[in-house]
Amino acid sequence: MEKFVGYTFQELLKALIGFIDVAGLYLALTQLTHRNISQNHKFQAVGLGWALADSVLHRLAPLWVGARGLEFTWDYILQGLEANANLVLSISLAALGSLIWLRKNKPKTLIPIIYACAGIVATMPSITSYLRRGLGWHFPKVVGFELFTSLVMAFISWQLFSACQRPYV
Amino acid sequence: MANSKKPGGLREMLESMYSVIALLFILVACVELCDAAAAVDVYRLIQYDMSGSPFGSRFAALNHHAASLHFPPGVDLSRTVLIIPLRELNITFVREYINQKNPLGGLLVLLPEVLSFKTGGNKQVHEKEKMKNLLAELERLLVHSNIPYPVYFAFENDEIDTVLADIKKNDLMGQPATATTGGYKFVIPTAEPKKVASPTMTNIQGWLSGLKTDGDANQLPTIAIVASYDTFGAAPALSVGSDSNGSGIVALLEIARLFSLLYSNPKTRGRYNLLFGLTSGGPYNYNGTQKWLRSFDQRLRESIDYAICLNSIGSWDNELWIHVSKPPENAYIKQIFEGLSNVAEELDLKVGLKHKKINISNPRVAWEHEQFSRLRVTAATLSELSVTPELLESTGGLFDTRQYVNETAIVRGVKLVAESLARHIYGHQGKNIQIFADESSLAVNPAYIRSWLDVLSQTPRVAPFLSKDDPFVMALKKELAGHVDEVNVQHETLEGIFTFYDSTSARLNIYQVASVTFDLLLLLVLGSYLIVLFSFLVITTRGLDDLISLFRRPPSRKLKTA
Repeated sequence: MEKFVGYTFQELLKALIGFIDVAGLYLALTQLTHRNISQNHKFQAVGLGWALADSVLHRLAPLWVGARGLEFTWDYILQGLEANANLVLSISLAALGSLIWLRKNKPKTLIPIIYACAGIVATMPSITSYLRRGLGWHFPKVVGFELFTSLVMAFISWQLFSACQRPYV
Repeated sequence: MANSKKPGGLREMLESMYSVIALLFILVACVELCDAAAAVDVYRLIQYDMSGSPFGSRFAALNHHAASLHFPPGVDLSRTVLIIPLRELNITFVREYINQKNPLGGLLVLLPEVLSFKTGGNKQVHEKEKMKNLLAELERLLVHSNIPYPVYFAFENDEIDTVLADIKKNDLMGQPATATTGGYKFVIPTAEPKKVASPTMTNIQGWLSGLKTDGDANQLPTIAIVASYDTFGAAPALSVGSDSNGSGIVALLEIARLFSLLYSNPKTRGRYNLLFGLTSGGPYNYNGTQKWLRSFDQRLRESIDYAICLNSIGSWDNELWIHVSKPPENAYIKQIFEGLSNVAEELDLKVGLKHKKINISNPRVAWEHEQFSRLRVTAATLSELSVTPELLESTGGLFDTRQYVNETAIVRGVKLVAESLARHIYGHQGKNIQIFADESSLAVNPAYIRSWLDVLSQTPRVAPFLSKDDPFVMALKKELAGHVDEVNVQHETLEGIFTFYDSTSARLNIYQVASVTFDLLLLLVLGSYLIVLFSFLVITTRGLDDLISLFRRPPSRKLKTA
């Protein structure tokens, strides 16, 4: 019983972090308008910056303390790959976010798809922790899954972005 | 209005969330920190100086690669730790290695788990005699040698067994672990061992007063029952000494309990005082007993009729020995021996008499009664050992664990001593009266003996590592105080020819280290991955020309300026 309560508390915290990601991206995309950047570059810059901050905060401390030990583990290499996937996911989330909040004229048919993809990408942390804990996947498998989904999501958001770029009637 | 409020509130919420996020990340980092390699509890070989000569293992810190006994011949072991399970131990190999002073990084001996008092419990030991002899020989060799590298003992468990199997596999393939080929690394991060500053010996004495009627002008005669409670062994953190002398302590406590029952009623109180002594410093020529006796009042010492010392009465079958230093023709000795033999006959066991003269000029004191005899008090030691032990032998070593003690033997020993004492006190010599009969209220209590024996078998009791207010010593004092009228505790310093060094137990960390070539290879792979990724991104976003132009910038500039 206690384990279950602890489990859900951690999951809640992770979902909260995901929500904060979205909120932070929203802020960065909409509130920081002191430069005249085109929409294209804006989401790239925001996505990159966000992913960098996320990686540093999340992975620098364990890397510094743990990777200097005597024993070699593959964990830190896998964490690096995970950071790569995280970068792609952050950029795609920023792209979708910029589509949702910055572009006011979108084709109606694409709107639900955009929101769905944004939802999936935003809840990625919860999904990965569910895979690790609930289904008991090992770390390499989880990282592989993350890389795959990040590429898929990037492709989808790229298509959506270019679809919204096309001037339409 | 609503728009300007919303972002402000969101910003504040975000700021307060930052602390939560930071805490979470710290938590995540901490969880990763604890994930280390295998860690095992290890116990160091004793380190001591005797009359200035060093003995035992002189080092404690360890940081070397591990190898098993299957190391390829001719390889240099000076920076390697040999890990040897007891069942593969070849005592002649070890003896030669130590005597030839061959260099070694360290030695780790794996003892079977059944001998551990923390996890082994009361499981039966297979091939008891063989293991006992092997351990006794190993102990004798290690305790009397000067070993210039750390020697540790550990108990086998699943973790270390897999590590050992892996090491053996690597060794058989001809690749002993070094810095370039990888393998296992044993690290024990402790400080250099320091001398124990003033080791204390604590003697506990209990006094049961006899019945003094008005007509008695002089002091009542006293009978003393003594047992030494401290141990000495190859691994001081493992020296629980269940037989030597846990059996003696337990017997003394039970006898004290029985006589306290008798003496609590004035009608059955005898005309003898009873003095119970739990002495320390036993392995060191009974130094503690000597100091205890020297602290006595002259009158008290003269009032002692005789003293019975108990030493190792836990694993005998049918024969006990009474060791004396006065000649057997002496009247008092005859009296003691006859008293004990009569009771022994009734209990269907044998007692033999062994006489060993004392040499006053020789400082070696092999039996506790010799300290009494040196001060002209009649004394005898009751023991299952027929041969006089050497210095630092039979003092509770590696093999002296709970499984080697038989509580029925202790019960019979208690009956023997208590009955003969009672007959002497109440004047029933020669009469066939059983005071401590079974099924009576004065019966010997096997449960009491068993519970105290279990406690003793889990408490290492090497005197220099027992502080003045050690909880176990206090517990003994409290227990004795429950049975006698008055308890006194005497603290003495363990001086003389022995000096001890601390650091008796540590935690061994086993790391699986990769070789240098593996590290370089990994560096190469990661470097190429990053370069490939970078080139891929540049090509897809800016085109191949831009990538090539990265390496050709200086010439193009020159062209432009020209």
